[in-house]
Amino acid sequence: MSTRCRWILFGQGSLRNIPATTRAALPKSVSSLSVFTITDHHHSHQETRHILSHSSFFSRDFHESSAARTHSPDKCPSTPCRLPSNFLSALQSRHPELKISTNPYDLDSHGHGESYHPSSPPDAVIYPSTVEEIRDILSLCCREVLDDESDSANKDGNDKLTIVEVVSVIPYGAGTSVEGHLNMLLPTEDQILQVPSSMFTGHDGSDTHRTIKIRRRGGISIDMSNFQQIGNVETGDLFVKVGAGVTRNALNEALRHTGLQFMVDPGADASIGGMVACGASGTAAVKYGTMRENVLALTAVLPPTKILSSHSAAFSDIAKPDIVHCGSTALKSSAGYNLTALLTGSEGTLGIITDCTVKLHPIHNNVIAAVCAFDDLHTAAEAVTTIRMMGIPVSRIELLDEMSVHAFNKSLQCTERSEASKEKDSKLQLQPMELKPTLFMEFSAHSEKAVQEDLSAAQIICVDDFDGTNFVSASDEETRQALWAARHRLYYSSIALRSGDGEREGATPRSTLLTDACVPLSHFADILSATARDVKELGVVGPCFGHAGDGNFHCIMPMVESDTEDYRKRVFQVNENLIRRVISVGGTCTGEHGVGYGKKKYLERMYGKGGIQLMTSVKKALDPWNVMNPGKIVDL
Amino acid sequence: MKILVPIKRVIDYAIKIRVDPSKGPHAVQQANVKMSMNPFCEIAVEEAIRLKEAKQNKDDEVVAVSIGPKQCSETIRTALAMGADRGIHIETKGDVRGDYIDLQPWGIANLLKGVVEKEDKVDLVLLGKQSIDSDCGQTGPLLAGLLNAPQATFAAKVTRGDDGSFVVDRETDAGTETIKLKTANVPAVITCDLRLNTPRYPTMPNIMKAKKKSVQVISLEDMVKELGLNLDDVLKPRNQVVEVYEPPPRKEGEFVESVDALVGKLKEKGLVG
Repeated sequence: MSTRCRWILFGQGSLRNIPATTRAALPKSVSSLSVFTITDHHHSHQETRHILSHSSFFSRDFHESSAARTHSPDKCPSTPCRLPSNFLSALQSRHPELKISTNPYDLDSHGHGESYHPSSPPDAVIYPSTVEEIRDILSLCCREVLDDESDSANKDGNDKLTIVEVVSVIPYGAGTSVEGHLNMLLPTEDQILQVPSSMFTGHDGSDTHRTIKIRRRGGISIDMSNFQQIGNVETGDLFVKVGAGVTRNALNEALRHTGLQFMVDPGADASIGGMVACGASGTAAVKYGTMRENVLALTAVLPPTKILSSHSAAFSDIAKPDIVHCGSTALKSSAGYNLTALLTGSEGTLGIITDCTVKLHPIHNNVIAAVCAFDDLHTAAEAVTTIRMMGIPVSRIELLDEMSVHAFNKSLQCTERSEASKEKDSKLQLQPMELKPTLFMEFSAHSEKAVQEDLSAAQIICVDDFDGTNFVSASDEETRQALWAARHRLYYSSIALRSGDGEREGATPRSTLLTDACVPLSHFADILSATARDVKELGVVGPCFGHAGDGNFHCIMPMVESDTEDYRKRVFQVNENLIRRVISVGGTCTGEHGVGYGKKKYLERMYGKGGIQLMTSVKKALDPWNVMNPGKIVDL
Repeated sequence: MKILVPIKRVIDYAIKIRVDPSKGPHAVQQANVKMSMNPFCEIAVEEAIRLKEAKQNKDDEVVAVSIGPKQCSETIRTALAMGADRGIHIETKGDVRGDYIDLQPWGIANLLKGVVEKEDKVDLVLLGKQSIDSDCGQTGPLLAGLLNAPQATFAAKVTRGDDGSFVVDRETDAGTETIKLKTANVPAVITCDLRLNTPRYPTMPNIMKAKKKSVQVISLEDMVKELGLNLDDVLKPRNQVVEVYEPPPRKEGEFVESVDALVGKLKEKGLVG
């Protein structure tokens, strides 16, 4: 058997984490060897860093997302490189220190996020450290070539045909995308276009047009992990400037003594640049807003608009794309087109974000967590709507359906867990929860009195008005953790509902369909219940939960390799149905996860032909050659 | 109950250390580098505050003490924001390095002994098990020796008995050890390990409140005089740093084509029987 293996070897761990096929091939004596793979999300961020910093085989490519896993090594591709032959060498000679990788594992890991979308790797991964390096890289992505094809084309035709080679680019943050943003999808057909001669860098000033044939020559991933700068927070300021590669946990750790925190929490340890690019959000959005409301300014490198003529010097200033500074660190600004908003949520299709200035919020002294069960999902959702209508401030309000609670209960009984995680559970005294739709709330305020008032106002609504039962609240850190455990562990416990049985592999984030939609609060109860009903009727495993205060909900549908075609069809049917319902009530096909390529088809339903046309015009204006993340959001 | 928590200002644990070999023993670059409270000291502060919160006694006091340059006052303010009641800053001149070049555990332990005696009726001295710049792990044990005090290092759990004793679970390579420290006329000395607790992030209101808490600032020279010590004894390093260099860069790993080849390589390197 030929299995290429990637190992991180040190310290303690268990052989269990090695794929079954490989484990079977190892001789018995290897049981004394310990292998550790970073899959246990129960390790605190601090502990994992501590362990990693002491390992002697620390892999540079490990990123601190606790959910990051290298996919099965069997699936690593070794396809030939599609890039122009001198692309990488030209870059390397200009920037000898620049790290460039064509290692198949790096390519594979940069070809996917954390969704079911299969990996479509780039042809190289480049790790720039400066904005100038990025400009140089992009300046090579659209070049006129003189070769046999262009010669023969011009011999045959009457008009001169210029061949232009385009290399695609996808910026890479932490790889936590869940809508396939990182998949390198190249247009399959060469395009033939008429363009003004002025689009060439070696333009002779004449007012003519040229016919070009765009030849796609693969793609590169630009890994932003070297952009780790974290600025100082001046006293009185509620923002910080960070490099695009800084992850949100690293940012909050760096801020730990300032009394301020960055309050967009998508669950995963995503990079700030990635969060801006995908318009991220999370449980704290109900009080602090989404990424849209939390980014004040950013710097981006725009895509190349000019074609590098074959006789123009590479890396000359005229070839380099522009840098744009968007927004301002003032809390309010009305100065011109909102470029920050344009790039927020643009999913890497309009440029490469290199740094962002994000808002920070003070940590309150008084925090209370509360949990309440309801007889049915609809009633629970109505309770949330009422709480919002009454203007009761909530920091977080999440709704889990019965199947989600069941997933948690099942995870408590799981025997195949690390000692550390079992110890943590017993310390928190975790108990199985009542099998009912449950609301998880958090209140915070600047005074004890205020937070208590918020809590009791919400309690009255839940219990008296909507017959909620078992309303429990706590203010100390440990009990709050225990109360919210089911919500914190939801993602993995849901996936574990379809665990393996020793022989066959269970579900993983890479085999899970995670839906995402958002509706006005008035429709939230109906749409959420309809989805949960659909899941039941179609007979699939699909815990549903919502960021109820925003009308945003998700359904986690794990799949396993042995699932039938029919089962998979039903899983995707749940998604189709829910998006159809959502759009029909004026909602959006994606509340937080972005469009990627899977949800492009819904955009016309949402925005009409005019909307799509406008988005296409914007894309064409900024990225005429479709260098940046082609095939996402709009097609050119 | 009075708890003294010595804290150290070091290069922030998340920062990549820069080494300039041309500077000899001073190779580690400290200028313009983010400094923070030593992570183990943070754990000690957190534990002290938890012990105080457990008793809910108004007379209980947590005192943070730090020896270092002017900017140490920020580190002390962080401890106050976490919940310490007051601070003592023994200020050194700006060019005195705390990372084992100038100030070393023997000198620090002597100073802390003086502070303990001056403070009077200290029940417990909680320290981090080691600092992340020098990694000595000596200050706690040296202090205990100088005070003739009972000590427990690498504490993973600390509880206070009604009789005033401290019960400590220690993590060792062989397992967990439980030790009872009886305090009579001298405080117990306990050094804290990673798993003792997770330090709280100070909230903004507490940071504001901390600005009003008292911090006594006294120069190293004055403190030495007051304690009747010899400045030379305190400042003169017992150990001399000969050389500082970065470890050689990691070699790139090798790719193997099959599990058999992997096992072969492991055997070759003597990692597998």
